[in-house]
Amino acid sequence: MKVLATYNIKGGVGKTSTAVNLAHLSAREGRRTLVWDLDPQGAATFIFRVRPRVKGGGHALVSRERPLSAALKATDFENLDLLPADFSYRNMDLDLDDTKRRTKQLDRLLDSVADDYDVVFLDCPPSVSLVSENVLHAADTLLVPLIPATLSLRTFDQLTQFVADAPGKSPQVVAFFSMADRRKRLHREVIEAMPRNGARVAETVVPALSIIEQMAERRAPVTAFAPTSRAAQCYEQLWAEVG
Amino acid sequence: MSVLQAADGALPDARVILDTLAADFALDVGPARVVRRTLLDTFDHRLCAAGLTLTQHGEPSGEQLVLRRAGRPVTCAAVGGARWPALAAALPSGPLRDAVGAASGIRALMVVGDERRRQRRVDLRDQDAKIVARVDVDVPTAGSGGAVQVRVHALTGYSRQARRVTALVTGLGFRPVTGEQCAPVTRGTSAAEPIGRDAPAVLLLAGVLGGFVTAMRENLPGVLDDVDTEFLHDVRVAVRRTRSTLKLARPALPETMRTRWEPAFKWLGDLTTPVRDLDVYLLDLPTMAQWLVAADAADLTHLDEHLRRSRAVQRRTLVRGLRSARFERLLEQWDQTLAELAQSCAARPTAGELSDASIGRAHRKVVRAGAAITVDSPAQSLHTLRKRCKELRYALEVFAPVTDKPARKAALADLKGLQDVLGRFQDCEVQREALREFAHEMMTDGTPAQAVLAMGELIGHLDTEQQQARERFDGAFAQFTRASSARRLRRLAGAR
Ligand SMILES: Nc1ncnc2c1ncn2[C@@H]1O[C@H](COP(=O)(O)OP(=O)(O)OP(=O)(O)O)[C@@H](O)[C@H]1O
Ligand SMILES: [Mg+2]
Repeated sequence: MKVLATYNIKGGVGKTSTAVNLAHLSAREGRRTLVWDLDPQGAATFIFRVRPRVKGGGHALVSRERPLSAALKATDFENLDLLPADFSYRNMDLDLDDTKRRTKQLDRLLDSVADDYDVVFLDCPPSVSLVSENVLHAADTLLVPLIPATLSLRTFDQLTQFVADAPGKSPQVVAFFSMADRRKRLHREVIEAMPRNGARVAETVVPALSIIEQMAERRAPVTAFAPTSRAAQCYEQLWAEVG
Repeated sequence: MSVLQAADGALPDARVILDTLAADFALDVGPARVVRRTLLDTFDHRLCAAGLTLTQHGEPSGEQLVLRRAGRPVTCAAVGGARWPALAAALPSGPLRDAVGAASGIRALMVVGDERRRQRRVDLRDQDAKIVARVDVDVPTAGSGGAVQVRVHALTGYSRQARRVTALVTGLGFRPVTGEQCAPVTRGTSAAEPIGRDAPAVLLLAGVLGGFVTAMRENLPGVLDDVDTEFLHDVRVAVRRTRSTLKLARPALPETMRTRWEPAFKWLGDLTTPVRDLDVYLLDLPTMAQWLVAADAADLTHLDEHLRRSRAVQRRTLVRGLRSARFERLLEQWDQTLAELAQSCAARPTAGELSDASIGRAHRKVVRAGAAITVDSPAQSLHTLRKRCKELRYALEVFAPVTDKPARKAALADLKGLQDVLGRFQDCEVQREALREFAHEMMTDGTPAQAVLAMGELIGHLDTEQQQARERFDGAFAQFTRASSARRLRRLAGAR
């Protein structure tokens, strides 16, 4: 089972869009795929039309009162399941803090479904927290969308530092540019001058495309409702690089 | 997934099903697909008995075989230009062939049903337009038979909705399918109604004999079409049982049974013997090939070809006999004779009296023939004992309706140990002689020496096995005649 997490300290950079589309592509290839929407806002859950509710909340999962498998929901797509968001996830840090090996809980929870899935996507909320520390432990790959702007890159510095400082095994960091506007000189320059800090930067750039914003109204991945669009092609290319 | 089926004969319109579901869900109805399903099984429904359903589907991409267990697909395989009947061995290798072959064994797969169905996939959505269940509505096309089926596919995390769908469909009169229903297998020995010890023996005999002739009739088409070797085998078993019954029931039967019908069924038995013998050699050949030490298994291909050629020749004689007016008359007049027998109202002997006398006599004959056997007895005397054992077994089977079941089963088990040893002894003898004869025939048409040498090795092996069976005989006979077994048989023969 391969675990990928879409993660960035900054919000609104394309984490959820990336997780949802790449997961759909993975499932379309026949791989048994799971998306865990860890964000209490539940954007990924909304896109898949699932109700943002987990019985007993995040607490029941973290404390193992209820098995992960009981909270799973099939999406409308073959091979693609969702572990929905729940508003209680906003307290997940506290729940995790109560456990023994508090940074490894997510990893252990995922072990319980390791035989059922080939690929798992963790869609993370934008923050540095105990949840994100758990994500670092659980993930094999950290997919980091970057908006080509100076401020955005500063947080990338912080992120790589955070990963380097985390004890134990750390995931491979793969950054890629998201919402890039090729026409803006600033974007081009930033992309070229970006300090890599040892992280891998994917070749694929996902430009700013309005069809991606339509996912919120269509409530489906772009790769499903506009499979031949430029946006879908970009996600396919990105998946080929990181999948 | 759960499968629901409309009650027998009811053909609810697909429209009714969809309207019912539409009350609770938004429906996305997919396009209709017409699929042709050919149902395959052995003549005696072995797949069905094992809980399996094998169907062949005509798809635009080619023919597909699908194996289901309790309605759920377990495995499938593509087949090109399959012709039925065929043995499972003729299927492409893989899990499907393994599963089917384990159940069908020696019997060929044949078409036991054919239907065309119109299928639609329906997605059921909730108020967020999320798919919460999927349903296949599967309707037989006009005139093709079969029941309307609804398959409900539950989605992970939406079991409540699947239960709701199931409840709605059940409300329309559909019922869950648990495994596919088998057509009942008719058994040659089953008497029409229970018969007591005081009933006239002729009534029991007419029922038993009628069962045997039914078995012959049912297996006849399979013999004529050469579907698999079991059809002929089952015909022969029914003939042999008929002959034994006629013989052991002589005291209760009219004279014409002995003068007319015993020879008639002997003719039928003899007619079927040559092909059956060759079938047995052909079926045994793979086992025999494993005995070879000095010779190569490939050396037996000549024997295999020789057997097949001989079988083809013998089959022509067999088929001619079974299509003859003589055979047709035999069956017809036998039916009539049995009908008269049932109405003859000869009150004595009763079934109980005949049973006691027949089992007692057959038992005493076995004991006498067995006790006379010494180390120096010729093979022929063991052969005779084997026949006596068979007669006792048939007596126990024929009078099953009027004897105690546990005692009968124990007695048959005791007898089986002895029969196995005698059977092995005689089979070795017969096969050895047959191999000698085949070798002679083959040498005249220029078969290479190594083929004959390999057969020589088989003869050696059979010799050793026969000796081993001979050595086991004393123990097996002692086991059969031990006090408890003898007492049981005497009680079955009416002794208090
Ligand atoms: N390449 C793109 N082009 C245009 N719009 C995009 C692109 N990627 C994402 N968006 C839009 O930007 C908004 C934020 O994207 P998304 O939700 O994927 O980011 P996020 O990092 O998950 O945000 P959050 O931190 O709030 O979870 C959404 O409205 C989305 O439709
Ligand atoms: Mg998000």
